[in-house]
Amino acid sequence: MIAAILRAQFLSMRPGSSRGFAWGAVSAFFWYGFWLFVSLVAGVFAAHAPADLLRSSLPLGFMGVCIYWQAMPVLSASMGSSLDLRKLLVYPAPHEKLFRIELLLRVTNAIEMLMVLAGAVVGLLRNPASGGPAVLPSLAGAPLVFALFNVFLASGVRSLLERLLSRRKVREVVALLLAMMWVVPRFLMMTGAKPAWLTGASVAMRSFGWPWSAAAHAAIPFGESAGSMALAWLSLCVWVGLAAWFGRTQFERNLRYDSLAAQATPMKPVSKRTHLWSERFYRVPALLWNDPLAAIVEKELRTLMRSPRFRLVFVMGFTFGLMFWLPMVLRRNASHSGFLAQNFLVIVCVYAMTLIGQVTYWNCFGIDRSAAIFYFVAPQPISRTLLGKNIACMFFLYLEATVLTVLTLAVRVNFSIGQAIETFVVIGICAAYVMALGNISSVHYPRALTPERVSQSGGGKPAQAMVAMLYPVVLLPVGLAYIARYAFESEVAFAVVLAMAAIIAAIFYWIAMDSAVKAASARRQLILEELSRGDGPVGS
Amino acid sequence: MLAEGAATASAILVRGLRKYYGAKAAVDGVDLEVPRGSFFGFLGPNGAGKSTTIRILTGLIPYDSGSVELLGYRLPEQDLEIKRRIGLVPDESLLFDRLTGVEFLEFVGRMYGLTRPVAMERAQGLMDLFQLQADRKIIAEYSKGMRKRVAMAASLIHHPELFLMDEPFEGVDAVGARLMKDILIDQVRRGATIFLTSHVLEVVERLCDRVAIINEGKIAVCRSMAELRSGGESLEDAFVRIVGAEHRMERLDWL
Repeated sequence: MIAAILRAQFLSMRPGSSRGFAWGAVSAFFWYGFWLFVSLVAGVFAAHAPADLLRSSLPLGFMGVCIYWQAMPVLSASMGSSLDLRKLLVYPAPHEKLFRIELLLRVTNAIEMLMVLAGAVVGLLRNPASGGPAVLPSLAGAPLVFALFNVFLASGVRSLLERLLSRRKVREVVALLLAMMWVVPRFLMMTGAKPAWLTGASVAMRSFGWPWSAAAHAAIPFGESAGSMALAWLSLCVWVGLAAWFGRTQFERNLRYDSLAAQATPMKPVSKRTHLWSERFYRVPALLWNDPLAAIVEKELRTLMRSPRFRLVFVMGFTFGLMFWLPMVLRRNASHSGFLAQNFLVIVCVYAMTLIGQVTYWNCFGIDRSAAIFYFVAPQPISRTLLGKNIACMFFLYLEATVLTVLTLAVRVNFSIGQAIETFVVIGICAAYVMALGNISSVHYPRALTPERVSQSGGGKPAQAMVAMLYPVVLLPVGLAYIARYAFESEVAFAVVLAMAAIIAAIFYWIAMDSAVKAASARRQLILEELSRGDGPVGS
Repeated sequence: MLAEGAATASAILVRGLRKYYGAKAAVDGVDLEVPRGSFFGFLGPNGAGKSTTIRILTGLIPYDSGSVELLGYRLPEQDLEIKRRIGLVPDESLLFDRLTGVEFLEFVGRMYGLTRPVAMERAQGLMDLFQLQADRKIIAEYSKGMRKRVAMAASLIHHPELFLMDEPFEGVDAVGARLMKDILIDQVRRGATIFLTSHVLEVVERLCDRVAIINEGKIAVCRSMAELRSGGESLEDAFVRIVGAEHRMERLDWL
């Protein structure tokens, strides 16, 4: 049965085109190549570090592995593949077997962590202090059991989150809180606002009582007393047991959960005033443009505002993004004349733009899914649709920038009115570049997104990493303006290079639009097939 | 009154239409003429080329050879002129799930060139006509039958001359189907042309005045309903005989 489900999933995942396969292969090469490098570094470190250094650093390393395994999918707003229980529950499949597949998926979700752990184990084996193959069972066994703990825990966390994230209104708050959990401690540490309990907590984190410390102690048997080794193993086994119980019970509760009921619109009527304001907001495009462009922009505003997936990345832009970058300018030793401090607003706004990109410009037909067929049968050129979608995205981008400007002022990061205007100009130019490229990517690599799921990825992890790598390249002309400002210490040089970047952006956007329109016309059938594609028994 | 298209007697005129997927011809030399003001049924077994033909007629996929004219306009050269004049109910959903029914209808109206006030007024009217509640519920929460009703309402909002409908009654309850049929009959009475596919032959038999049956990419027969039933056969009997699908009832040992 497990084999049948996995085979069905494998068959569902066959790329629609050789181009899609090539893109996947290239992005996977770079992504896993990077993690191979990290595992080599971990191996070299473990092979040469003295025992004392290993004892103090390995728990931290294992804690990092655990955090990545559990938190990274949430941070990237993607929880990886999962069983689509609605499709599988109709079959007489024992829950135990389904749970085993769920665990397998949690393994595949963090292959890179297994690579790092394997690198560390090989390094430890080669360490002269380790005693060689005699300690292999303990040395390799502890990381393996630790991996098992992570798999069980990830399964439970995922199931729990899936239920929480499927509830109206609760889902965005939960996802945001989870993301903030990641940045708040860092914020407190870097700004020096670290409360006393945090210092105590960081010491406590290294105690045997924690799974990462227990696994680290169990993995370094040399120089440890038999008693402390037994204690480490006992602690680790208890944690694995607890994680297994947590994972299994959460999975079982997911089986009985009705996500459709949780997502239904409440019968309670919305207040007249709220309705009036939201309608005013949606009608703004009609004041600025004529139909059908105004109709497309308005439709996009409504669609995006009602998509939990978009709302999450939008809110993350001015919360998570701000918390992520703020410590760098507020930390005790930070220079107030440094690049980051002087251009803080631009940086957080560009970062927010990258977050929004996953759900908007990189894959602009994604949330429409099969309804994208309408754009091809409506009596409007597809260029107008792309333009309308880009304008709607710009609308949100400037809204985000406005919120960020107010919040940045509130946290007392000083900037002049000139810098605020500069930010808005720069954001506009940057947006032209990324949207130009986004239009091309939307017609060449369309992928159906589920708007209700805040946790679905806009692409696989490797593909997201590739997109992240494209930003520095595509934003280079704007970057050159800042380089010119600092190299020549001249605002004129900055303005001239920025103006050139704007002109190039306009030309680039125009050429890219032409290319995207031609590709959309030639590939419309493939685009619609990709956007209508089902996920198979394992949903992404 | 319907808007005047190019002056031709045919709503759809297809000559020597071919479409290949690799070496396989999905549509293999189709000739088809649908008179204006007719209720035309386009039938065929699964995989015969019905949906491919409709997708070609809507301009969704290009064809390899032949010629296609809709309302006197040539495809693909005059596709925008054609799109302005047709109403489409495809087999897959073209509904934007995050809009409410009335918002979607208004959006479609504006995309077809109606002013906002007119689009809003017609959207409200169609919601009433199709017995859909204009509440806060977004389309994602609609049942399959409600989605079909919205799709059909959307195809009507710009008052098209020609309707292309792929399985419009699929998943619709008896009340909804009756309502939709009455609306379509009324449209034909007012001069519109309807080209529809359906696997429910009773519906086709009741509604259509002309029928074409496509089999393995070729038109096997194209006649008026009266001619097709002249031998006393029902449409189902004629259909099964024409596509040569009369089956032997075999028993599987394990069944």
